[in-house]
Amino acid sequence: MDLTFSPEQESIRDAIRGVLADRIPAPRARAELAPDPGLWREAAALGWFALGLPEAAGGAGYGLPEETILFVELGRSLAAGPWLGTVLATHALAVIPTLRDELANVVGGRTRVAVVDDPADALGEATRPAGTVCGVADGDVADVFLVLGGRGVRWVAAGGRGVRVTGRESLDPTRRVADVSFADAPAELLAAEAIPLRRTALVLVAAEALGIAERTLEASVAHGKTREQFGRPIGSFQAVKHRCADMAVRTEVARSIVLFAAVALRDLEPEAPRHAQQAKVLAISAALANGHDNVQNHGGMGFTWEADAHLYLKRAWMLEHAFGTRTAHLDALAAPWRAG
Amino acid sequence: MEIRFSAAEEAFRADARAWLEANVPRARRPVGADLRSLRDYDLAWQRRMFEGGWAGVSWPREYGGRGASLMEQVIWYEEYARAGAPEVTTTFVGLNHAGPTLIACGSAEQKAFHLPRILRGDVVWCQGFSEPNAGSDLASLQTRAVIEGEELVVSGQKIWTSFGNVAEFQELLVRTDPEAPRHRGISWVICAMDTPGIDIRPIKTLTGDQHFCEVFYDGVRIPLRNVVGRLNDGWRVAMATLGFERGTAFLSEQIRLARRVEDLAALARSVPGPRGGRAIDDDELARRLALARAEVDAMRAMTYRSVSLAVRTGVPGAEASVIRLFFSELVQRIDLLALDILGPAAVERRADGAGARWADAYLGGLSQTIGGGTKDIQRNIIGERVLGLPR
Repeated sequence: MDLTFSPEQESIRDAIRGVLADRIPAPRARAELAPDPGLWREAAALGWFALGLPEAAGGAGYGLPEETILFVELGRSLAAGPWLGTVLATHALAVIPTLRDELANVVGGRTRVAVVDDPADALGEATRPAGTVCGVADGDVADVFLVLGGRGVRWVAAGGRGVRVTGRESLDPTRRVADVSFADAPAELLAAEAIPLRRTALVLVAAEALGIAERTLEASVAHGKTREQFGRPIGSFQAVKHRCADMAVRTEVARSIVLFAAVALRDLEPEAPRHAQQAKVLAISAALANGHDNVQNHGGMGFTWEADAHLYLKRAWMLEHAFGTRTAHLDALAAPWRAG
Repeated sequence: MEIRFSAAEEAFRADARAWLEANVPRARRPVGADLRSLRDYDLAWQRRMFEGGWAGVSWPREYGGRGASLMEQVIWYEEYARAGAPEVTTTFVGLNHAGPTLIACGSAEQKAFHLPRILRGDVVWCQGFSEPNAGSDLASLQTRAVIEGEELVVSGQKIWTSFGNVAEFQELLVRTDPEAPRHRGISWVICAMDTPGIDIRPIKTLTGDQHFCEVFYDGVRIPLRNVVGRLNDGWRVAMATLGFERGTAFLSEQIRLARRVEDLAALARSVPGPRGGRAIDDDELARRLALARAEVDAMRAMTYRSVSLAVRTGVPGAEASVIRLFFSELVQRIDLLALDILGPAAVERRADGAGARWADAYLGGLSQTIGGGTKDIQRNIIGERVLGLPR
């Protein structure tokens, strides 16, 4: 049993963090709407999209814990772009020999994939989806949609016949959304069961939220050490210090359950599905509460557009609404107790 | 990263489980005000563990302990709780604080005399640290000890001494140099509780029980050879093993908490809810239960992380204080949830109902964020020692 990062995992984390820091230097750059094509190419060249694929499938041979490391860093840096769908797509495509080229294009950064989460099958269960799903994250920069239905997983070209994409702003200036309408669009069925991908998605979204919890904690602590009022650093006042302590507790709670869930899911532990939902709930709670506290800790500056405190909080809200809210997951977790 | 235990560790688990299943006392632990019966029960269980080779799992072998690795300790405490083995209360200070302190700082004679007695379950130890004016600010303690020949003569008062009225020995912090800076003039002394001049008065707590005591010292003569470590170096001696006070022993409490959540879910299926139906049918109560279970699972993951970090680095990490704070507040959230699920039964104290048990747990749990450093002190520790914020 070991829930610490190995030296190899630490070097993966440091390498990813270094690239993102170079590519996304200033807070203002985070508010740019379009994902940086240079970063995307570099990510592909470094094998980020295929971290979790076996080497035989062109991947790095790691697993969900290493993908989790990537998404924590993406959350910390507020990186723009359809990272989640692209990584999930590699998993979905890797098991289908006839789609080798598609896989290579995704892994190589030439095909960007957004996820259309449709657990209630609003798009129907037939191979050809029909209907509209709103609020698809990064939907207007995707080349392909990975449609996760109640059961099936479908692959639909974004620019193809029968697909209409209407991009718009969201609460989060660093993440646009799209309303995506399908009208008898040609689609490829990738898998009969969407549940495994959805669980992976829960952990990766939770990891992104964990990154926000980490980063906002660090920002608040740094501010508390340097900002002076009444002739002292404000971090010496218990009101601020204790708020930072609570941020640290939430972050450690989130980090522990996210890593635990990632390993449990990788190893197909029977309790893994429960832990994936718990990770989503607790990591989002940490990101939302830390995001809020971080605005507070920065005082007047925290309320400005110029400071990036608001961007973390806004991203946290986007993540809350990805793959089920806290309320929905808590209801699902309580359901077995209520049955009968 | 790995959440499974090794084959050797699983073999250790199987041994521990088998032994516990065969040996955990069937008689229920006595409850209520009869501390003598409680003490006898706990010491008999300690003796049983000693005879079975399971006393002091974390203690080094050369001092009669099991010498278990950190991972084995994790497993032992998990199995201990799983088997429903008795909570460690009267024997806690001896096993988890005074004993480890003697191991770290005691003389050969002190170790030879005391350690076997603690392990065998011959004696109960209590703690004499806090004073009426030295709680969170422990270093301001004022109980004086003056050297007269080969003896220390102690005068003053201690408070919040758990089981002081059924203990043989006390780990006692006294001020031996009133002129020195406050952390420097303190000594850590072994005090026999039957020494003339000691007056022990139980304090009735808000739960109605009387395990806390005030201890008064009036010219109490303690041999100088009972000083542990060097004279005036008691602060360092006390801090040397403060981590032991919680450490892995804390795991059993977590497992018990996990079981409490499951018990609460069962209770919520059997009692009426606030708007008719069962309590579990109430959305808010059901979500709070699900959140409680998530938080308990997260705490286990935090503990695993903390232990595996300690294994990797060789030193206990700072995140122990994070776990500590989270645990104490989680206990209180779960206790509060229990009373909300119970509804009016929480206050009726019917002899046949579950209400009294949960209500007592709630009241007892109020001390979670006070004892051993209030939650405010814990937040200071996290802010200053973990995050590096200025004092």
